[in-house]
Parts: sequence; C-alpha cells; structure tokens
Amino acid sequence: MADGVAARMARGPSRRVVLAASSASLPLLLAACKGVQALGSPPPPAADVSTLRAAISAEEVMVARYAAALSYLRTSLPPKGTAADILSVSDIEAVQSEHGEHLAQLKSRLVEPPGSRPTPSPTPSVQVTGSLSDVLSMLEQAEQAASDRLLSQLGVLPGSLAQLFASIAASEATHVPLLTAAGRGR
Amino acid sequence: MTAPSATASPPGGSAAASQVIAALQHALAAEQAASYGYGVVGAHLPQGSALQATAATDWITHMRLRDRLSALISARGTQPVPAAVAYQLPAPVQSSGEAQTLAALLEDGVAQAYLGLVALPEKGLRSFGAQQVRAAALRAEAWRGSTQAFPGLPDSSLRRS
Repeated sequence: MADGVAARMARGPSRRVVLAASSASLPLLLAACKGVQALGSPPPPAADVSTLRAAISAEEVMVARYAAALSYLRTSLPPKGTAADILSVSDIEAVQSEHGEHLAQLKSRLVEPPGSRPTPSPTPSVQVTGSLSDVLSMLEQAEQAASDRLLSQLGVLPGSLAQLFASIAASEATHVPLLTAAGRGR
Repeated sequence: MTAPSATASPPGGSAAASQVIAALQHALAAEQAASYGYGVVGAHLPQGSALQATAATDWITHMRLRDRLSALISARGTQPVPAAVAYQLPAPVQSSGEAQTLAALLEDGVAQAYLGLVALPEKGLRSFGAQQVRAAALRAEAWRGSTQAFPGLPDSSLRRS
C-alpha cells in the first residue's frame, strides 16, 4: 500500500485530489483578487461588547439631557430665582457630574481593536420645556428607566463589568429621590 | 425583587462553588454588622422621631436579609458564619447627626458586600445582589442626603484616565 502511495506521488496528484484542492482554494483565490472585502464582514461583536456600547450611548444621552436641562433652566428662570430654585439647579449640576463619571468609567471598559477607528457618536439632541417641576419630573423618569435598564442587562456581562453596571444602576436610582427632594425645595 | 434559588450546587465541590459560598458569607457578615450597627443608630436618634422609625424599618430589613442569606448558605450545605458579639464601629456615635452618618456608612458596607454576589455567574444570585446594592444605595442616600457616583465600588476598582 505504501508503494501505491509512493507511486501516485511520483505520478503527481490524482484527479480527485486536484478537484478537492481546487474547490478548497477557490475562495482564497477569489479573496486574493477582490481584496479584504471578499473575506466577508467581520463577526458581530460579542453580547457584552454590544451591551457596553449601548450603555455608553444611553449615558451620552443622559449627559446631553442634563446639559439641555441646565441650559434651559439658566435661561428660563428669573434672574433672581428663589433660594429653592438655585438649590435645585445645584443639585442637578451635582447629578450631571456623576453621569459624566459614569460615562468615563463605561468608556474605559471598552477596548477597541488595534487599528480600528470608532465612529464618533453624534451629540444627542434633547429638547427640554416646561417649569422647573416639569424638568425635574422628566429627569426623575429618565433616571429610573436608566437604572432598570442597566439591571436588566447584567446577565450577559462578565463579573467586573456587571459590578460596574450594578453600581451605576444604584447611583442612578438614588438620583430619583434627590431630584424629588430638590423639587420640594429640600 | 426576585429571591435567588435555594437549590444548591453540590457542597464542598468546585472552586466556583467555593466562590459562591465566600461571597454569600461576606454579604452575611455585612448584614450582621448592619443589624448590630442599626441598634446603635436607633439608640442615638430622638426618641419617637421619624428618623428613629426609619432606622427601625431599616434594622428589620437587614435582619430579614441576614436570615435569607443564612438560609441560602445552609441550603448549600455550609454553616453560616456566626455574628460577632460586638463590632468596631466605623465612626464614633454620640449625637443624632453621627448616628445618621453611621447608618449611611453601614449601607455603604452592605452595598460593597452585595457587589460580591453581582460578580458571580449564577443568574439568580447576581440579580439578587444587584437589587440589594440598589436598595442599600437608596437607604444611604436617605441618611446622607446626597448621592454617590459608584455605590459599593472601592476607588481602587475605578479606572482613572
């Protein structure tokens, strides 16, 4: 039998071997002709990466929401707002600062592959209208929804990222009573 | 709130099972410390005040959670760690204000301990831990009157740019 193989090798590849090699190498040859595109689209990101990216986007919207709220209140409140108004605005500023910290920590956990250029996300546009009470109410609802959303996403995350999500969810939940108290003038 | 399953992985088994037990014991120890600490908190708040009523409610919450954690540990074939006779308080308490500060610090400790459960892969325990981190942070906010960016997470675990 070994002699038969040696004899075939000496004669060159059989017809069957050539066909197999041709069909196997065809995509590679085509890929070489068409460049990198023909290798197909990259695999979809893992669930934890998608979840982290979604959380970063949601936090960017939250930061934009607070920026819009503060900008609106600074222009709509009377020049000599009451002490309660001023206190409310300072509470909103404190919460906005914490959202900035959340966003920075979430972004620090996203490792982009070398050479990739993450597309910069457009600045979210948020409209704010109404009284101070309306603005606070809108922020409270957004905070509760954000906290619940983060907690619902823990299942797909590795342990340390799940801890960060849980901690941010807890922080955002605590913003609700803080904003409620701000609305009452503390 | 969803209660974690009491059905256990086999006792004395893998490293993963040991991690679960260690995290549960750590959370139990934090609840035992909080149960003790709230006794001190309540004793230094004005008698019959709304603050004292809140402290009593929180104290009962921690005792219930302590019992739930003990049951979860027992269901896994392990003896829950016994409570200490007394605990070193994180801050001296001689006034109502200091009592409220202590209550907030106790909640910080509880939140940090429950983050240990969040790191576990077991879905029920992770969810239970995360709900308790949030509940502890809310109680801390009520006592402190201010919020924290990362309840339960030590500074050393945060990445600074």
